[in-house]
Formats: sequence, structure tokens, C-alpha cells
Amino acid sequence: MLNSILWTPLVFGLIALLVPRRFAPWAAGLGAVVTLVLAAIVALGVDPSGGMQYVVDVTWIPGLGIDYSLGVDGISVFLVLLTAIAWVPAVAFTASRGTDRDGLFYFMLLAGQTATLGAFLAQDLLLFVLFFDLMIVPFYFLFGIWGKDRDGVTAGSATVKMIVFTLIGSLLMLVGAVAVGVIAADGGQLTFNMAELAEKGLPSGSQNWIFWFFAAAFLVKMPAFPLHGWMPDAYRAAPLPALAVFSAVLSKVGAYGFLRVVLPIMPDAAELFQTTMLIIALGSILYGSVMAFTKLDLRLILGFSSVAQLGFITLGIFALDPTGANGALLQMVNHGLVVVPAFLIVGLIAERTGSEDIGPMGGLAKRAPVFAVIFLIVTMATLALPGSANFIGEFYILNGALNTDVAIAIVASSGVALAAFYALRMYQRTMHNPLPDDSDSREISLRDGLIVVPIVVIIVVLAFCPQIVLSGTEDSVDATVAVSREAAQ
Amino acid sequence: MNAAFWGWLVLLFPLLGSVVIGLTFRVLPARAAGMIGVGAIVAAFACGIAATISLQGEPAESRHVADSLWQYASVGGFQIDLGIYVDPLSAFMVLVVTGVSSLIHIYSFSYMQSDQGYHRFFSYLNFFVFSMLLLVLAGNFVLLIVGWAFVGFASYALISYWYRRETATRAGMKAFVINVIGDIGLYIAAILIFRDLGVIDYGAVFEKAPEVFQTNEWSIVAICLCLLVGAFAKSAQMPFHTWLADAMEGPTPVSALIHAATMVTAGVYLVARAHPLFELAPAAADLTAIVGLVTLLIAGTIAIAVTDLKRIIAYSTMSQIGYMFVAVGIGAYSAGMFHLMTHAFFKALLFMAAGSIIAAMANNQNIDRMKGFGKAMPFTAAMLIIGALALSGFPGTSGWFSKDEILDFAAFRGGWYEIFVVGGFIGAFLTAIYSFRIVFRILPGPPCEETAHLIETGHVVHGEPVNPATGGREDTEVGFPGEEHHIAEQAPGMKIGMAVLGFLALVGGLLQIPGVDDVVTSFLEPTFEDSPLAATHPSVSSAWLGLAEGAVISIAGIALAWWLYVKRPTAPATIRRRFRLLYTLFVNKWYGDQIVDFLVVRPVKGVGSFADRIFEPFLINGLTGGTIATVRSAGGAVRELQSGMLRGYAFLMLSGIVAVALYFLIRSI
Repeated sequence: MLNSILWTPLVFGLIALLVPRRFAPWAAGLGAVVTLVLAAIVALGVDPSGGMQYVVDVTWIPGLGIDYSLGVDGISVFLVLLTAIAWVPAVAFTASRGTDRDGLFYFMLLAGQTATLGAFLAQDLLLFVLFFDLMIVPFYFLFGIWGKDRDGVTAGSATVKMIVFTLIGSLLMLVGAVAVGVIAADGGQLTFNMAELAEKGLPSGSQNWIFWFFAAAFLVKMPAFPLHGWMPDAYRAAPLPALAVFSAVLSKVGAYGFLRVVLPIMPDAAELFQTTMLIIALGSILYGSVMAFTKLDLRLILGFSSVAQLGFITLGIFALDPTGANGALLQMVNHGLVVVPAFLIVGLIAERTGSEDIGPMGGLAKRAPVFAVIFLIVTMATLALPGSANFIGEFYILNGALNTDVAIAIVASSGVALAAFYALRMYQRTMHNPLPDDSDSREISLRDGLIVVPIVVIIVVLAFCPQIVLSGTEDSVDATVAVSREAAQ
Repeated sequence: MNAAFWGWLVLLFPLLGSVVIGLTFRVLPARAAGMIGVGAIVAAFACGIAATISLQGEPAESRHVADSLWQYASVGGFQIDLGIYVDPLSAFMVLVVTGVSSLIHIYSFSYMQSDQGYHRFFSYLNFFVFSMLLLVLAGNFVLLIVGWAFVGFASYALISYWYRRETATRAGMKAFVINVIGDIGLYIAAILIFRDLGVIDYGAVFEKAPEVFQTNEWSIVAICLCLLVGAFAKSAQMPFHTWLADAMEGPTPVSALIHAATMVTAGVYLVARAHPLFELAPAAADLTAIVGLVTLLIAGTIAIAVTDLKRIIAYSTMSQIGYMFVAVGIGAYSAGMFHLMTHAFFKALLFMAAGSIIAAMANNQNIDRMKGFGKAMPFTAAMLIIGALALSGFPGTSGWFSKDEILDFAAFRGGWYEIFVVGGFIGAFLTAIYSFRIVFRILPGPPCEETAHLIETGHVVHGEPVNPATGGREDTEVGFPGEEHHIAEQAPGMKIGMAVLGFLALVGGLLQIPGVDDVVTSFLEPTFEDSPLAATHPSVSSAWLGLAEGAVISIAGIALAWWLYVKRPTAPATIRRRFRLLYTLFVNKWYGDQIVDFLVVRPVKGVGSFADRIFEPFLINGLTGGTIATVRSAGGAVRELQSGMLRGYAFLMLSGIVAVALYFLIRSI
């Protein structure tokens, strides 16, 4: 089952690449939908307290102890589902507009989905590292080939910057992963199975340096302050549908890595560096928020708001508290769901104003009340208005953080007020205020509505019952967090 | 059917109204939308009455019902239910909110008649009432936060209702952000409550708190202070007050609904609701009362100086809410709630009258320009006088009974609480002056241009499409009134709304005459029965002595206003000259905006611009550029990174994944 989820996007991507041009969007769309259906079936079938399920375990390279091993549990199931959901509107949005060399575009986009799903599903540390590294490759092409040059920064150089950052992180992680396997084996049988590694445990001295090798890769991917240097240029260059899934899902792989790899395998180090990580999280929250409200470019506002949101998620994970970690996982799902429509809306706004700069914008709501309401819902979810699922996520994160460190939690809570300011500013400057003469305040079309609204409906449903996610995650997350808590005692 | 059932219905109707109007705005005729809007709130009022009746049928000690629909969220034992709590206090609030809201909806039905966004207005207005009712009925602190934030959001939406007007959007933003700061206070309070008590539902929290906390122990004081941040932000008390005056950018019915009758009193409700916590933290309770006192005095001085009609009433609202905070701070809970109710009556009435006048003035809000309304619009003038009388606590009106009950309780507690009596009376004197400043300025006298037009033609003047705050021209679809707008007070909806409120403002005080009856106190008694403070009462004779003092002060204030604004119209200018320093301070609102700007806004913006201009380029270019440069200088082979090699490497990886894919696909079949 997991095999089919994992490889379906790639297969359909290949088909899209090979079939005549006019069939390519259909092939890609079908691929995304089939993946979504499969992921939904798995999600419905998963037993929240059943540990790792739907396990696929095949020996890959026996001598090195590397297995092709997949599985899904409460931690990964909603992220798999999120991935499957996010790609559908992205493909549909591309299909509705068309693009040059579209077969290749769909292939890259869907290859990216397979790699991302692989990272969420992998239960072998090296397989995880492999997928984690592969993930960036299709996006390198997507951003580089279909990206736009801006303000003297070419799409090429923006992507190179991204790759350099990512590669450094990835190489460190590869070294770390190999080291984990070798040290844990301690001369015996080599294995990279994550569960076995967690059981064997590492000496705390080794944990301490390996921790940072992994942390580097994950923090770059999120991105966290101050490792976000690649983000602004890459975000400005990227084609929007690709950016939507990139920002929604790929950034979560970093946070997921902390939950899946770092906490179970390096619990002592996680406990030891807890305060450092909390401060990095706090820095991301404050810096991301402050930058988000100084920027005028819609992509950068959303990009820096992601830095801040990922900061909250990191805060929740490293509170090493069940409420904080569950809140963080809920928030990963929420943020992913919010970011996809947000970036697509940026595209719609750009089509109406010819710009992504909120400076000269305004008044788009005039003839487009439905469009404005959709954007308003997304904005309110972004700023975690109480009543949205994002609020419950943030609330539990702050609860976890406060149980760990009162001062950090209180400073972090100022991020909530800053978010209110930058998110509302983004909404107001586009939808409200006087309408400039050269802007076309046009209602959202039925076609675009069908692309964006379903995901907004999911946001609203989750707002009424965030427990849908929490009841699925609680057992698995608690088990993960418990390891580090034991280490602390 | 028990009270909880009716409680859910109270919530359901406004929500349904909002959603139905919102979804059908393209097909529904405007009048139908307005009817649905009004009908939803009236239905909620009826259900509120039913809930109250059902509650009163229970014996006093079991007069509270908790009920929950489903589990909203639960992690690590921190369980949050979607639950409501109905007891006399929430029933009382439901009645006040839905009752006054019904009248305001009826008023708006006429007042907003020619506005372009009629559907949007009623959808927002219903949503606001829903949020306020959720706030009031919530059964635990987290759901309270949800209602609290929804109210903030709805008020944002309504303040910036004329959304293409920049002053309005800016005001909306300010209100929203300050309210979010208040929300954060509540977040932390809720988290601390759960940390210390392990529960979050009202009933359980109030039961457990006295067992866990010592009086004035730091942890309970911290919880109460966090609650106060929320309460002060929502109720526009110092230092979170600056948003309220700007919020007057919204349509006038909004000001009546949100900024007088309901939303801004939420903080008072919160303190009354959480009184078992505040009684364990007398330090925080005293702070509540002190902040209330300071706000009531400062707002009173500003109301005397400013000339914008709606802003005068807004500052008066701040000031009256100050009285309510004094009340709940010193333990006079039922007196505070009583004042909350009478204030809702007379303040909503004043705003409605102001709306009628402003419409007739073609959106001009400056009282210096208004003259001769007594003759031009006698009905509105009568209502304005009733509102002003009740506000200044004229003997016999509702405000007289409710305000003095608070001060009487302060006198009864004695000791340093006497300062609340003194301050309260000073505030009452200021109140009488500024209320009748409005009356004496705009009712008598020779008609001004607009009123003359109204007297001659029976129609209001059509204003130019300009922003009243800045004078800048606007596109004609923004703002109010539109081209077709012909209503002053003649519209039936406006008349009904004002007449009923005028009646209530006059006689509402009769519910609670010392020595005769105590309807409000005895109704609320089951909620406050655990409170030793609420069990004590001043004697009837001292209550009447207080009322007599209040009457003297009120009449003296009105007399002074008459002397200043009618008898010696030159006197105010002389006084302004002589006390220039004070006047400058008052008319600039004690520089509240500037202080906030200097202490908060500028530093944050400064950090932002520093980060943007200096730090960020370093991170991006310095760090990345440095890395790339290092890599490049490592040798010619690596220079290929940009072109051939990287692409080759990437393709290699990609083909790898394809190969792996095919391999496993085949194997797994």
C-alpha cells in the first residue's frame, strides 16, 4: 500500500512527461488525485495507538544493513495526507494556466512529491537521508528553469544559493547518519532501522555532536533563523504552484526530522541542547515576524511568516512536553494547509494587479467579495485567530513551552501579536483601502474557486474539530517525547 | 428542556443568520437580509428569556447548567470541551446583549438602508452578536478565548466596514492588534490556570482554586493580572484604551452595539465571572478598581475637551466602564452588572441619537458646527436629552441608581476605598458637564446650514463624498450616506429603536431602588453566593444618602454646563486660554497615542528596519556569498558547480530514484 502511495506520483509524472502535450495536465492531475485517494485510505485505516503500520521491509544492501523500509504511524500519517492534499491544487493551478515545457514541469513536481512522501514514510535512517536529499533536486529544476529573475537576482543564482545551503546541511546529515549506524552497531551487525537504533541507543558523547549534524540539515530546510539566507531569493524566483507545495510541505520535513530521528535516537542530546533549540526557535519567531511586517513583497511576507511559524513548531517540539509536541504536529498540518491557498492567492492577486508588491495595491475586494472572504479566512488562520485549528496548535505549543520555561514562552507569545499585525496588514493592503485605477478587481472565477476552496473548507472543518488530528497523533508523539523526558530524569 | 438547550439556541440563531446572509448575498433582496438579521437576534433574545425562565425554575443552589457538544481538543490531559455554562450571570448578560442588540438591529435596518454593503453589514453584525454570546456563554477559559477573539475580529470587520477608507482600515487594524494583545493575556492566564489546577472548566476551576491557592499568593495574582490584560484591552481601559476613539470610524450603529452596549463591557463580565479567583488575589482586585478609577477620570477630562460628537461619547464610554471596573474590583459585583445594563441602555441611545444627528449633518461630526437641532429634529433631541440625563445620573433616571450603588459600596468598605467615592463623584461631575455640553451646544440656537435645510425641506443635506475625518475625496460607494439617502429620524426602525431604549434609560433604574426592590441583585445572587464580599450590603439609609449626594453633584454639573454653554458662551474660550496647558493635555487625549507610538510602535519598527537593511543582507549575501566564494576559490573544478556538474549530479540522483522506484515496484508486485 505504502509502495503505491510512494511511487504513484512518480509513475504519473513519467507518464505526463511521455504522453502528448495536451494529455500531460490530465496525467499529472490524475496522479495527484490517485495519490490523495490512496493516502486517504491509509489515513482512515491507521490505528492511532498501533505503532508503525503498513510496514514494508525489504533488505536493500545487506552488507551495510540498509533496508528499504517504509511505515506510517500517528506522527507521519497526517503529514502524508497533507502532502497528498497539497499537491492537488498545485497541479490543478498549473494545469489551469499552462506553462512551457509542461510535461517536464509535471514530472519534476510529481517527482518532488514522491521524494517528500519517501521522507515521511522511510523507516530506515539512510533511506530517510536519501529521500531528504532527493527532495530538493526536482525543486532545484522547478525554481531554476521556470523561475523568474528579479531585481538582478537570476533564478539560477537563487537556486544555487539554495542548493549550497541545503547540500552543506545534507552532507553533514549523511555523515551523522552513517556515524549513528556505525557507533550504534559497536562492532556488531550494522543496521539503520530507526526503531532498532532508538532501542540500541548511542553514548551521550556521540549524541552531542551528531545532534548538530542533523539539526543543521533540518534547520536549513525549515528554514530557521539564522540559516534562512537562501529563502528570500529562492522564494522570489520560484513558480508559485511549486512554491506553494515547497513552503507547505518541504519545510515540515525538517520539523518532522526532529520528531522522527533526533528525539528518539538522540534523546540525551535533545535534552542537553533543549535551551539552545528553544532560543533558536524564539529567534525564528521574533525575527521572522519582524521581517514579515517590514517586507512589501507578498512572497516574502509569507516566507518570513513561515520562518516564524516554523519557529513555533520548533518551540513546541523542544518543549519536550506532550502538549507542546502534539501542538507542534497539529501546527505543521495547519500551516501546510494555510500556505498552499495563500501562495495560490498571491498568484490570483498578481493576475489582477500585475504585481506582487503590496505597496501600490488596494481595494481588490470591491468587485470580488467572495475572493476577499476566501483570503480573509486564510489570513485569520495564518494569524491563528482563536477558533481556528492554528490557535489550538499554538495554544498547546505555548502550554508546552510554559511548562518548560516560563520566560521563553512569554516572549514567544509576543509572536502571536506580531503575526496579527503582519497577516492583517497583508490582507488590508491588498483587499482594502482605495482601489488604484490600474487594478482589476475581478471576482474569483469558478475554476479557480474549485482549486482553492476545497482546501479552505478543510481549514474550516479542522477549526471546528482540531481533535480529528490530535486524537490521531497523541499516542505516537507521546511515546517519542517520553524518551527524551526519561533522558532528562 | 433545560437552560443549556436554550443556551445553544441562543448561539445558533445569530450564527445561522450570519451564515445565511453571507452565503445568499447575491440573490437575497436587501430588505430580506435585514429581516433575517433582525429576526435572528430577536429569536436569540426569546431563547434567552426561555433560558432564564428555565433557570429560575431551579432551586437557587443548583441554578447553573454546564453542557458540552463535543470534545474540541485534548492532549496530555489538557482537555477542552465545546461547552457552555448557563447561570444567572451569563443569562443576565445574554438578556442585555440580545435585548439591546435587537433594538440596534432594528435601528440599523433603517439607518443602513441605502448603504451598498447592506448584506455584508448584517452578516457581520449577526456574527458579532454570535461572538459576544459565545464569550458570555463559554463554559471554559479556552472557549472564552475563542469568543473573545471572535468579538475582536467582528469588531475589526465592522470598524473597517467602509473598507476603502484608509482611516477606517487603520482604525480597524489598531483595534484588532490591541485586542490580540489582550487575547495573549488570556492565553497565558488559561495556561497558568491549567498548570496550577489541572482543570479548565469554570465550575471545576472555581471549586478547586480556594483549595490550591493561598490568598495573594504569587501564582494566583499572576493569573489575575493576565486576565486583566485581556479585560483592559477589550474594555479600552488604560493603557490599552487608544483604539476605542479611533473605532468611531465604523458606522454609528456599530458604535452603539460594540463600543457602548456589548463588547467593551466584556472585561467587566470577565472579572465578575472570575470573581472567585480575584477574591483570592485581592491585590489584583484592588488594581482592577484603581485602573478603573484612573481611566474614568482621564477619559472624563478628555470628553470635556474634544469636539467630535462620537468621540465625546466614546470617551464617556471609557469613563463609565471605569465605574464598572471599580465596582467589580471592590466586590460590588451586582452593582457593576446593574450599571453595565443601564449603561447599555443610555449609551446605545446616545449613539443612536448621534447617528441621527450625524446623518442630518451630512457626516460632519464636529459639535461646534451643530446648532438648532431642538427644532429641526425634536424626537432625536428628546432622546438625546433622556440619554444625557441618564448618563449624568439625574435623579430618577437609571444612571442615578446604578452609579451611586457602586460608590455607596465603596463608602461601605471604608478605609482607603473612600478614594473611589471621591474620585467617582468627581467623575460624575465631569460626566454631567460633558453630557450637557453636547445637549446645550447642539440643540438650542439658530439653525446652522444643515438644520435649516432640514427644517425647510424635510430632507437631509446630501454631503459630498468625502472622508469626514480627513476631508479627502472618496469614491462614491464608500461610506454613508449614499446618493439616495433621505432618512433622518423619520424612519420607523430608528424611531422604534430609540424610543424603547429611551424608555429603558429612564425607568431601568427602578429595578433596584434601595429599600424597595433589588431585582438585579437577587437575580444574580446564586452566581455570587460564594463571595463573602457580595454577601454584605450597605444600609438602606446610607444608600439614600449616597443617592442624594449623587443627585446634587449631577444637578450642579448640569447647571455649570448650562452656565458655560448657554448663559456665558464666551466662558469656555476664556477658560481654555487660562488653563492652556491642561486644555492641551486634555484635547490631545493625554498623548496616549503618542506614548504608545514612542514606547512600542517605533522601537518595533526600528528593529524591523535595522534587520531589513543591515542584518538581512549580511545573512544572505555575507553568509551565503562567503560560502559560495569559499567553494569557488577551492578550485576550477568546483566552479562547474553552477553549470554542468550540479545539473549532472542532480540528474544522476533523479535517475537513481527512478531506478529504485521501478525496482521496488516490480518486486512488490
